[in-house]
Amino acid sequence: MAVRRADHTRASTMQWIPYLFLLPAFILLFTFRIAPALAGFREALYTHNLSAARRSFVGWGNFAHIFRDPIFWKSLRITLVFSLVTNPLQTALALALAVLANQRVRGISIFRSVYLLPVVISINVTSTIWGLLLNKDSGMINGILIQFGLPRQPFLLSPDQALWTIIGIISWVGVPYWMMFFLAGLQGIPQALFEAAAIDGANAWQSFRYITLPLLRRIIAFVLISDTVVNLFLFAPVWILTRGGPQLSTNLLMYDAYRRGFVWGDMGGSAAMMMILLVIAAITVAVEFLLFRSREG
Amino acid sequence: MAESLAVDVAERYTRRGKTRISRATVQRVIVYFLLTLISVLVIVPLMWAFAASFTPNDEVFRYVFPFSWRALFPVDFTVEAYRNLFFEEGFTRPIANTLILGFSTVILSGVTSALAGFAFARFDFRGKDVLFGLVLLTFMIPGEVTMIPLYIVVSRLALVNTWTALIVPGLANSLVIFLFRQFFIEIPQDLIDAARVDGASWLKVFASIVLPMSKPVLITASLLLFLGQWNSFFWPLLVAPDPKLRVVQVAVSYAYEEHKTLWNQLLAGSVVAALVPILLVLPFQRYYVSGLVGSGLKE
Repeated sequence: MAVRRADHTRASTMQWIPYLFLLPAFILLFTFRIAPALAGFREALYTHNLSAARRSFVGWGNFAHIFRDPIFWKSLRITLVFSLVTNPLQTALALALAVLANQRVRGISIFRSVYLLPVVISINVTSTIWGLLLNKDSGMINGILIQFGLPRQPFLLSPDQALWTIIGIISWVGVPYWMMFFLAGLQGIPQALFEAAAIDGANAWQSFRYITLPLLRRIIAFVLISDTVVNLFLFAPVWILTRGGPQLSTNLLMYDAYRRGFVWGDMGGSAAMMMILLVIAAITVAVEFLLFRSREG
Repeated sequence: MAESLAVDVAERYTRRGKTRISRATVQRVIVYFLLTLISVLVIVPLMWAFAASFTPNDEVFRYVFPFSWRALFPVDFTVEAYRNLFFEEGFTRPIANTLILGFSTVILSGVTSALAGFAFARFDFRGKDVLFGLVLLTFMIPGEVTMIPLYIVVSRLALVNTWTALIVPGLANSLVIFLFRQFFIEIPQDLIDAARVDGASWLKVFASIVLPMSKPVLITASLLLFLGQWNSFFWPLLVAPDPKLRVVQVAVSYAYEEHKTLWNQLLAGSVVAALVPILLVLPFQRYYVSGLVGSGLKE
């Protein structure tokens, strides 16, 4: 009897211990990650007067206001073009770079270290350096173009080129970043598979197509989906380099959300924009997910 | 006849052998060419930034336009930009702020995440799957989504421009919880049982048995947490507009806007901001990459 009781108390204190270990982390996660994500939906239904710490309910008013705004529709179009180009481009180039970095040649680890540099440097520093390199009047890129007898380009100053320039700059980071995921995946493929294929007379392309690609399918899906989410919420390069310009040509939705809240003081509109962006992200991810699922069958 | 056949075969054999060798060589040359080409794309911008930060301001673009190799080396070497940056622009302040931010995050988030990771790895309890699912879910929600609602809450609590607002939200890190769990799950049960039989409390088991053998994951988690804060931008930009609380990335970005003509100083700030992560990651490359990649592969 006494023994059973001791067991019982021990078991019940045992039951508390895991929760004590979890408590601090979960208070943080709940307060700063989960609750604000949910609160975002509520805040989007109010107008806010932050200086007076007041808010008033406007229902779908913020959304109606956004949907009537031609700037929103322009930003939406820009964001979609941007996503449709950037994500497949970065995923494909990252995979190609991973195949290259997976070659067993002497000194490969040095090259891999070099490719890590854009990944560890902040996007702000990257944007700053590339902003100067792409300067119209005195940037290095135009210096090189001129040497080849080509006309100098306005890059970030032109409404036709700015978005593509930003895609280029962020790919300087994104391609090596996602490459690391593919490289880890490639290193997990047993070398014997490739050797067997080579004995059977498969060439490099065939073994890539029939061994590498199918075995990396899950990582490709992961990279494409994560890249989509990351790029939909891209902010720093736009803030640093163009502030949405010229002529709103780089006014991606994320930057527009910031601008509404922190330049125009419309926090409710800003929160509403974030919710719209979240819905777009969810839809895109779902579509990509289904695409990969359907191909698996 | 037979002789000529033999010669024929031998000839074909050597020819095939030759083409085989030369094809492998060609392949290797192409591989090195591509590897080098991409390295140049990575290194040239960084070399220019580095060189230009050690160049007098009116010389920054001198060898760039038209381009010459001199652009990649500080031919007119001076530390003027760094001197101005630290002694006149007060760049030490953002650096000190970011170090405080980084180290407090490593310690506080390291401890809370390790405890949670341990609970997920070593205990069975009711609701475990649901709670772990929540951790994985928060991974999926990009931090930016929560920042504007969080800013509304923080400003309503009058916490804008405080260390609390700057540090505390960054402590919630589901990736690090996940990494700790993955590591702790591999620790042999015997070691833990032995300590438990000796009457050690769970906290003691955690602190004196588990942590000392967890150096790899501690390095990975510290690197990710520290670099996450060193490179963080959006949240500090929103919540700490006060120059006294300015962090490195915000300082660099404002410099791009405000000092559009002090290029060498702007680049000196960028070099400092870039050098810290480079010097931290290169010696611990394996740990860093495994931490980043771990989130995508182990599921």
